[in-house]
Amino acid sequence: MIQAQELTKRYGSITALDKVSFEVAQGEIVGFLGPNGAGKTTAMRILTGYSPATEGTARIAGYDVAKDPIEVKRRVGYLPESVPLYGEMAVRHFLRYVSEIKGIPRHGLQAEADRVMSLCGLEHMGGRIIRNLSKGYRQRVGLAQSLIGNPPVLILDEPTVGLDPSQIIEIRQMIRELAHNHTVLLSTHILPEVSMLCQRVLIIHNGRLVAQDTMENLVGPEDGVVRLEVDVRGPREKVESLLSELDGVQRVKLDGAGPCFVVEAAADSDIQPRIAEAVVRAGYRLCGLRERARTLEDIFVDAISVDEGAQV
Amino acid sequence: MRSTWAVCKREFISYFTTPVGFVIVGVYALLSGLYFTGSFIIYCRITQNPSTYGYDAIPEMEEWMLSPFLVLCGQLLMFIGPLVTMRLLSEERNKGTMELLLTHPLRDREIIFGKYLASLGTLFVLMLIVGFHLIIIGSFTPIEPVVLAFGLVTVFLMGAAFFSMGLFISSLANNQVTAGTMTFGIALVSWILGLMGQDLPETIPAPDTWPAGLIRAAEMVYAIFRELVVSLPLDAHARDLAEGIIYPHDIAYYLLFTSFFLFLTFRTLESRKWRA
Repeated sequence: MIQAQELTKRYGSITALDKVSFEVAQGEIVGFLGPNGAGKTTAMRILTGYSPATEGTARIAGYDVAKDPIEVKRRVGYLPESVPLYGEMAVRHFLRYVSEIKGIPRHGLQAEADRVMSLCGLEHMGGRIIRNLSKGYRQRVGLAQSLIGNPPVLILDEPTVGLDPSQIIEIRQMIRELAHNHTVLLSTHILPEVSMLCQRVLIIHNGRLVAQDTMENLVGPEDGVVRLEVDVRGPREKVESLLSELDGVQRVKLDGAGPCFVVEAAADSDIQPRIAEAVVRAGYRLCGLRERARTLEDIFVDAISVDEGAQV
Repeated sequence: MRSTWAVCKREFISYFTTPVGFVIVGVYALLSGLYFTGSFIIYCRITQNPSTYGYDAIPEMEEWMLSPFLVLCGQLLMFIGPLVTMRLLSEERNKGTMELLLTHPLRDREIIFGKYLASLGTLFVLMLIVGFHLIIIGSFTPIEPVVLAFGLVTVFLMGAAFFSMGLFISSLANNQVTAGTMTFGIALVSWILGLMGQDLPETIPAPDTWPAGLIRAAEMVYAIFRELVVSLPLDAHARDLAEGIIYPHDIAYYLLFTSFFLFLTFRTLESRKWRA
């Protein structure tokens, strides 16, 4: 449904997007993950026809974005990061206006506005002036405008940014429901959001696509690698060195700000009893030792650090 | 066409769902009304006793009052116009709603014509104020229909031409205050040039000591300068039309001026494809 081939975008000497290629199949919900400034919005703007690519091609539902922008725009619902709304309009009038410019027949304008209001929980907000709505409701109006005309492709750029926790849950639930009959490309830098909503993830960093796979493959066990969380009380450097010297250990790192070490080792190395034995023999206290599934955060950090290493 | 109409309708309504539209109409009504009332009172006095005011007979109402009033109404549009046009595209860009327009199935021309037609809609509302004044004159004395028709057409053409330039400037600026100030500045320069043009002599004598070639060059440069100063200002083409005298070049000037700036606006919007 969405095909991007070697998409490149340059702003003068700055390359915002560097030969990014990916595909999104019909009915898929794909997370576009990356830190701020990675190129997510740039890629989305190219896909929606807002801004042209310097090089490469993008196709939506078989239509080339550069050659058939009108056909593409008919098939895409887009929610930009900062929701573009006319503050002085009432919700219903705004949605009728968007229906009109989306090419909905005149007799169906009201029905279409009512349909998307009902989908987004705005039934009682039709007469409210947009500028008086809360941020959460404005986000819903933005989402409602992207659903007008029931486009097969939805491109949502950070749909939950700036919302409070209850609003985030509501918007996520809404997106999950929409995913049943739409192809969704969802940009975010909130990792749990991707885990909750997406079947597949594209990780972008410094304008380059550094990883893409299904959630199962990304967070599932790596071939031949076991990942352990080891909670040891002792001097950090000495414990790290002790763990690193054990046979079969591939990598040891401190888990964020906490006291745990994350040890990656060969799966067949029977490492757990040997870690316990080594720690106790060295006179440190072992408070915990458990196997840990790979999180999206690990994958994200790994992908970005590999990319940064490659650039150095 | 439907999309153009949708853009136009939203824009036109937005003038009057905010105080902007009412300020525009109010200021225009006030200024044109002040001029109209003043000149109407003076004309009434002249008709009672022409000799007191240096006239042998009662002057023609069309020539003395109607045409200057219509030209002034056109000139006022040049100063009120920035309020109408400054927001057209710059506000969309400033608020981010341009992204909404450009990611929906709208062609650039539909956005531009929609916006422009909305500004012409506001112009039409202002023309109703002019019409109201004409009805007052008509209730006192019959008006030559040709003068009336061409007078109204003149005001409309002047406004339409000036609004097209305002739309173009709005397409360049990200901020409506910037767009408005630039448009107002151009209106002011155009008005000053128009005043200068009325008093410029056909030729200016060059010093006899200059070589013949230099004198010819200086005369040519002056002739070009004078032609520009006389012909470029929008109101310079309004006077004859407002008196019911039709010169095709006056009408062509307004139509070309409008087309030129609409074309430039189109190119500016299109430039995002190769500039961004």
